[in-house]
Formats: sequence, C-alpha cells, structure tokens
Amino acid sequence: MWWKALSVVLVVYSLLAGMLAPLKPGITRTNPETAKSGQTVTVQVFGYNSFYTRSAANELRVWLEYDSLHALAGQDIKILSDTSLEASFLFPPDLPNASTSVLLNAILDHPKDGVSLLPGAFELVKNTDTAAVAGSGAWNRNPVGDLHVIKDFTFPYRNVIYESIRNTYYHVPMWFALMFLFLASVISSARYLRNPTLENDRRASAYAETGLFFGLMGLVTGMLWAHYAWGRAWSNDIKQLMTAVALLIYFAYFILRRSFDEPEKGARLAAVYNIFAFASLIPLLYIVPRMFASLHPGATGNPAFGSQDLDNTMRLVFYPAIIGWTLLGFWMAQLRIRYQRLEDRVMDLE
Amino acid sequence: MHRFLTIILFMAIYLPGVWAQGNRDFMRETGKINVVVGVILLIFIGIVWFLLRIERKLTKLEHQLKEEQQ
Repeated sequence: MWWKALSVVLVVYSLLAGMLAPLKPGITRTNPETAKSGQTVTVQVFGYNSFYTRSAANELRVWLEYDSLHALAGQDIKILSDTSLEASFLFPPDLPNASTSVLLNAILDHPKDGVSLLPGAFELVKNTDTAAVAGSGAWNRNPVGDLHVIKDFTFPYRNVIYESIRNTYYHVPMWFALMFLFLASVISSARYLRNPTLENDRRASAYAETGLFFGLMGLVTGMLWAHYAWGRAWSNDIKQLMTAVALLIYFAYFILRRSFDEPEKGARLAAVYNIFAFASLIPLLYIVPRMFASLHPGATGNPAFGSQDLDNTMRLVFYPAIIGWTLLGFWMAQLRIRYQRLEDRVMDLE
Repeated sequence: MHRFLTIILFMAIYLPGVWAQGNRDFMRETGKINVVVGVILLIFIGIVWFLLRIERKLTKLEHQLKEEQQ
C-alpha cells in the first residue's frame, strides 16, 4: 500500500515542481537580425523571463559572438523594459572567416539573472562595397568573460521548445513506465512457462496491457509535443517508427491470446510470444534509434538524455516523475489483475 | 474502448489545428506552455479511459453474480 501513496506523492510533486519552477531567462530574438560588416548598428535584444530593469545599464553586458576569438561587445546599452534593451555594435570591416556571411550568437550577462544565450541570433553579411566600409571596430576588443552563473531552481531555456521542456516530466516517464511494465510482464510469462498457473498468466497479460496503455499515452503526448516542437505530429522519425512497430508487436500479443479455443494453449503460446516480443523491444527502442539521425534529443549516436538535455535541476523533477508514474502504472496493473482474479472465480462458480 | 482511443487521437492531432487558426495562436503563446497543459490533459483522459474500462467490466461481473444468487 505504501508504494501507492508514494506514487501519488511523486506524481503530484512532479506536476507541481514541473509546472511551477520558472525557466531561466533567455533571448527570443534581436531586431534587426542582420547587418553588413563595417556598419554601426543599434540592435534591440528581446528577452524571455528576463528582468533587465533589476540592474543598472552599466552592469549589463551583451555580445554578438562568433567563437571564443571573435566577439563584439555592445556599447551604450539602454534598458527599455524588463524584456528588451538596445545596444550599438561597431561591426569590423572584415568577417571572422572567408565566407560571405556568418551567424553570430547573442550572449547577455545580467548580474542577478545570469547568462542568457541565443545561438545563431544574428547574421553578419560581408559588405562588398569597400568604399562604404568605414567601420573601425575590431573583433574581440571586449571578449566574453566574467559571466554570472546563477544557481537556483530553474529549468533551462531552450529556443523553439521554450516552456514545453517541462514535457520531459510527463511524456518521457510514460516510456519508462512502459519498459518496467513490459519487464514485469515478461518475467510473469517466464514464470508461467515454468509453472503454468492462472495467476502467472493473469499477471503477464495485465502488465502487458498496462504497458501498452502507457505506450499509447507516450505516443499521443509525443505527437502533440512534436506538432509544436518539430512542426509535424508525425515526421517518420526513427524513434517514432520503431516505437510504433514495438506497440504493434504487443497488440499482436493480445490477438494471439484470444485466438485459441483452449485458454491453456493460448496462454502458453502467448507466454512464448511475450518473451520474443520483449526481446525485440530492446533493439527497437534502444539500438536501432541510435544508428540513425533522429529528431529526438541526442540525435545520431545516442537518442537519450545527455547532460545537454537534462541539467541537475531537471533531474530533481525527472527521476521522481519516473518512479511516480511507474508505481502508478503498477497500481493500475494491479487493479486489472485483481479484477481478473474475481472474474476467474465467478466463472468457476458457474 | 475504440471510441475513446479515437477521441484521444482526435484531440492530439486535430485540435491543435483548430487552435492555430485566427491571429492568436493559443498553443504557441506564452512560451508554448499550453502544449504541456495539453500533454497532462491527454494523460488524464487516458487514465479516465482506463478506469472506465475496469468499471464496465466490474459492472458486468456484478450483474453475473446477482444472477448466480437468484
């Protein structure tokens, strides 16, 4: 019973902490977003969750950075509001490399809010009209440094996904719950093959059913998230395809169970099938997606969570969420087992 | 059972398109927070669907038991 209470506590905690903790401040865009080399341009920077007015203009620093050797510091910073400020940039007459245009990252340092960054925020185009190039700016006169790193309970700001980073605590634990439930199911199936009791069969089927339920939830929530993060609900991402295949394999498990007149024969075959289904789950969910490019975090090589996708604050919510949803899944499966036990007894009465 | 599944899929695929119409984009406003609300809502609807299935099966079983006793 204690683990049911724990599941509720952990799920409620993941809902509260996951929804209430703010994001770190970020930069949404700059205006203008492009300039020619050699020009002096006043650039407006727009912040997200930022509080620029909390500090004086001379404490704020803003850069347009190409790499560690090429960065321009903004001059004459004017704070317009909590979420916007302007600074003028003296672009040097030459680009940091030989190409015709470069993308610069916007970096902003705030003594109280910390650092915020927008990769590829600004495009600097090479000015071909050499007569017009009068700029006297030089790269890296004021290099990026002495950044304020603030440690507090905030989630990382990521461009494009913004607040929907919180779905990590609700979409991803569905797949962890699925994995643990399918594992419990295959263990029950193996037990059934050694000791063919009705109880082992009931457990195997209930765990598989609840696991499949979490798989469907993971798929549907993932499609909603994908619609707004990747632009399309279904983009034939390798992980989407492989999970769809894995879920179909488990659908077939239930069809197989019901397609025999003698329940013992069906249960036995289903138990064998379940072991093969679980064995195919590992390559489908963990091996094949790592061999192809994927839209999922990590992309090629490791479609799981690296330190870039999950910081320590997120871990404090993510791990409890996994345990909470998994325990809730076992609770739901237990209800199915207990129901089935009753039904089998009523059938015996007849 | 299949009806509920259809409703969930409908919500996930069709409703975002409805919300996206017009000048205001409900789901993309305020840092896409409503995507998270949508995900939590979908999970809640899913759990209710799971409960309804058990409830229906239990009702059937109760009727069966009643008939036995008569």
